[in-house]
Amino acid sequence: MTARKMSIWAWRLVVLAVLLGTWEWGFDLAKLVLPKAWVPKFLDPYFVSKPTAIWASFLRLGCFTDPLGFSACLAANDNNLWVAMLVTLKNMWWGFLWGTGLGMLTGLVLGRSDYLSEIFAPFIVALNSIPRIALVPLIILMFGLGDLSKIVTAGIVVYFVVFFNTYEGTRAVDRDQIAAARLLGASEFTVLRTVVVPSALAWVFASLTPAVSFALIGVIVGEFIGAERGLGKLIIEAEARANASEMMVAIFVMMIVGILLAIVVRRIQGYLLRWQPQFDKS
Amino acid sequence: MSEVLPMTAMTATAAPADRITVRNLDKRFRGASGDVVAVDNVSFTVRQGEFVALLGPSGCGKSTILNMVAGLLERSGGGVAIDADPVVHGAINRKVGYVFQRDTVFPWRTVEANIGYGLEIAGDSKTARAAKVQRAIETAGLSGFGRSFPRTLSGGMRQRVALMRTLILEPEILLMDEPFGALDTHTKLEMHKTLLEIWERERQTVLFVTHDLGEALTLASRIILLSARPGRLKEDFEVPFARPRDPVALRESAEFGRLYSHIWHSLGEEFRRTKAD
Repeated sequence: MTARKMSIWAWRLVVLAVLLGTWEWGFDLAKLVLPKAWVPKFLDPYFVSKPTAIWASFLRLGCFTDPLGFSACLAANDNNLWVAMLVTLKNMWWGFLWGTGLGMLTGLVLGRSDYLSEIFAPFIVALNSIPRIALVPLIILMFGLGDLSKIVTAGIVVYFVVFFNTYEGTRAVDRDQIAAARLLGASEFTVLRTVVVPSALAWVFASLTPAVSFALIGVIVGEFIGAERGLGKLIIEAEARANASEMMVAIFVMMIVGILLAIVVRRIQGYLLRWQPQFDKS
Repeated sequence: MSEVLPMTAMTATAAPADRITVRNLDKRFRGASGDVVAVDNVSFTVRQGEFVALLGPSGCGKSTILNMVAGLLERSGGGVAIDADPVVHGAINRKVGYVFQRDTVFPWRTVEANIGYGLEIAGDSKTARAAKVQRAIETAGLSGFGRSFPRTLSGGMRQRVALMRTLILEPEILLMDEPFGALDTHTKLEMHKTLLEIWERERQTVLFVTHDLGEALTLASRIILLSARPGRLKEDFEVPFARPRDPVALRESAEFGRLYSHIWHSLGEEFRRTKAD
């Protein structure tokens, strides 16, 4: 590690410590030294909790401190932290999968056919201008309070992002490279498989990192509006009890899930796009 | 300038067969102010084993002719045949190999995978491909770069990959559209050396488009000279230099210099006309 990198990491730790310290003691300290009117009310631990309180809530929700033991604690609550996390992750995964799959497929088809893309362009523009979140109550009405409505929501949110990127990526394929492949004996389908798809993949991947976040947003919003289980449901329940610590626990779990998934996508991207200079590791 | 008869008509002998036949070929492009004639009534033939350079100033329609021969571009009039078969726009002839001026190497494939592309999609197994690909890599002087991705290579090396990607399929007829046009002089000479070595061994039928007189004289057995836009056949003559040729030594020879300056007069006139347009 270079000296520069070490100093960057040292400063990051300082910033983190200041943030956590201010969060833990800042409000109480400000109340002691500042006039009452100057202390921002929304920073009251009643609203934002405290790192120590969040940690305690995490241990309790995660069944680490339950006197009955870990498994008995899990069984007592069918939307405990771990079940909620798995349910949210699972719905997110399936939504991401169908949204990405359909987005790539239709993007590829319309990107390759000027005729079809002209036919469908106004419909896609119209559908795309609907805020996806506005559809959630409708989707819950159609598909119920269970997992399916969350999968549908996540998929719809993901679909358009991936569709537009795949479409643009397919349009941007070098025509001479396609001609070269044809002259080397490639059929229309082989051109698609060996030239168009690999070439468009860079564009597709540019959309996958946001698509992961969008899938998570889709599922969580679905769970806010109506769900039986999941991290979003956990937050809504905690809100009903005005329990900021539990809400913060769910938010942190989502943050960590989001970070891990982004790393996974970047790893896959780095491997599949290793021919591009920005992913060069050597 | 009087209309020059295509030399093929005068010198045609029974021996080598006609591989490429171009008859009264026309190409018009639709422009903002009416049609633009790019190619006007061009006829010539290329016989088995000939290395023909299609030489002309920029914008004379020589690449347009080549693309119509390859079936990549629709004709406005006239006919093109490979052997006895008329060329159909959009249909690919497996006897024909084509090398582009622009870099068309697939950046997501390694050098090996690029060169083996045609064999791979034809269904050859990995083991069947490996030996051929290895030989092509050695011929191209790319040993040690088989596993590299194209972005790590220079422009000249990438064009070697493109050349071998075409040659590995053993095309009987090779169409080349200013393949070394984007390279610097030194790299160009290196490429000439490689191409001459391959061609003098295998004697494919070659139609090579270029605007570089020196390049045409170095490589070709025959030069077809086109006029500036619209492209018309201007002259058709044999290049008398003995083979095997060494591109550097050839360029330094006195006979090269004489022929170069002789042709330069007619080509120079064309260049002035292009500029005046």
